[in-house]
Amino acid sequence: MNVALAILWKDLVTEWRSRDRVVAMAVFSFLVVVVLHFALPARDAEEARRLAPGLLWVAYIFAALLGLNRAFALELENEALAGLALAPADRGWVFLGKAAANFVILGAVQAITAAVFALAFDVDLASIAPSLVLVVALGSLGICAVGTLLGAVSVRTRYREVMLPLLLLPLLVPVLLGAVDATAGLLETGTLRWRSIQLLLVTDAVFLIVSFTSFEYVLDE
Amino acid sequence: MTAPGAGSSGIERIAGHGRAATGWLLLALAAVWLVSVARAPEDSVQGILQKILYVHPPLAFAAYLGFFLTALGGAVFLWRSDEAWDRLARSSAEVGVLFCTLVIVTGPIWARGAWGRWWSWDPRLTVTLLLWFVYLAYLLLRGFTEGSERAARFAAVYGIVGIAVIPLNYFAIELAGGRAIHPENLSRGSLGAGMGLPFLLGTVVTLVAFVHLLIRRVEVEGLRSRLAERIASERARGEETGSWGT
Repeated sequence: MNVALAILWKDLVTEWRSRDRVVAMAVFSFLVVVVLHFALPARDAEEARRLAPGLLWVAYIFAALLGLNRAFALELENEALAGLALAPADRGWVFLGKAAANFVILGAVQAITAAVFALAFDVDLASIAPSLVLVVALGSLGICAVGTLLGAVSVRTRYREVMLPLLLLPLLVPVLLGAVDATAGLLETGTLRWRSIQLLLVTDAVFLIVSFTSFEYVLDE
Repeated sequence: MTAPGAGSSGIERIAGHGRAATGWLLLALAAVWLVSVARAPEDSVQGILQKILYVHPPLAFAAYLGFFLTALGGAVFLWRSDEAWDRLARSSAEVGVLFCTLVIVTGPIWARGAWGRWWSWDPRLTVTLLLWFVYLAYLLLRGFTEGSERAARFAAVYGIVGIAVIPLNYFAIELAGGRAIHPENLSRGSLGAGMGLPFLLGTVVTLVAFVHLLIRRVEVEGLRSRLAERIASERARGEETGSWGT
């Protein structure tokens, strides 16, 4: 547990000092929002609201891919990854620390993106903010759980920038669909759709358990 | 230096015994199956198109079996560190991808005639397509990871996550409003008279074909790893004599 907290703290302090990951991810997801705006032009406010949840989550997932790639690439310098592997605890805790740091950093980016998104697409996100935060947190938990596991895998492969999306995207379908459906429900009625929340909860639980237990096999000296 | 066959594990010994048997069985059964498909009555609505039924679902069973074996082989490899299980996982992923590709090809041929379009975002179709992507990524991961032991560990973990995501994907796509138009599982009596036998034979033939290809693939993997061992040991010996020479 202490190992997880130490790694979380280390990652957040590193990020705070450079702030390069948050800036790169936020600029990138802002760019995705702008590109999507022109690629899928909405004719009226109604159509914009219908498209909004999908576009928002596409921007989130692209930003997450960028950040997850950096999370372990960072550890390759000075063989820090070997140091993590030698941490005096179950490697599952190393996983939890890294995943929690990814979660916090992604959360910051998501907040910035959501603000820009609300302005660009003229959607009122402020009125549903508390429920939206819950949905986004549940979605990000799944992304960061399996994303941290596969980030540790892809960083040790050739073409790691290509490998991570190839590995991750087919697995993120349940998270994406659950989160998009829940966000759509919020935008339409202002209430949470229980079925999509259930899907997100189950997916998060499966991804967390599998990643926590199998992280031992993906981290090597 | 190990003699050929020596040091091979239980899986490879079974493979060695099963190769010829499954080969001949496949040949004989396939002949009977072809005759039974040719003689099966034509469907009153779909006509000859319906005969894809004797190929398409059996291929899907075999593909799913392949992905299950990949996860199982990976899990046992992680547990016991026996490379033979990794060779089984890798081989069944490759054969599974082959069968899954055939499922994805034969499905639309039937759908074009029966539904009027090549593809529908039905849950079962979409889950199969996603699974195909997962196992293609699995094979790419193996190709792009250096060091066979590390590749085996990474692939095993990915294979296990890949199988865990199947039910999640299914619920997710249903939730997203993927309309289920794929024919339901065969229930008793849903096949017309004379169609049951060729379907059953098709299933058996496909599974035997799967096992036969898997055996051959496992053998190739076994030979490949023995070759790598021999090259490594000869290189080590060369270095030894080289150091004596200087």
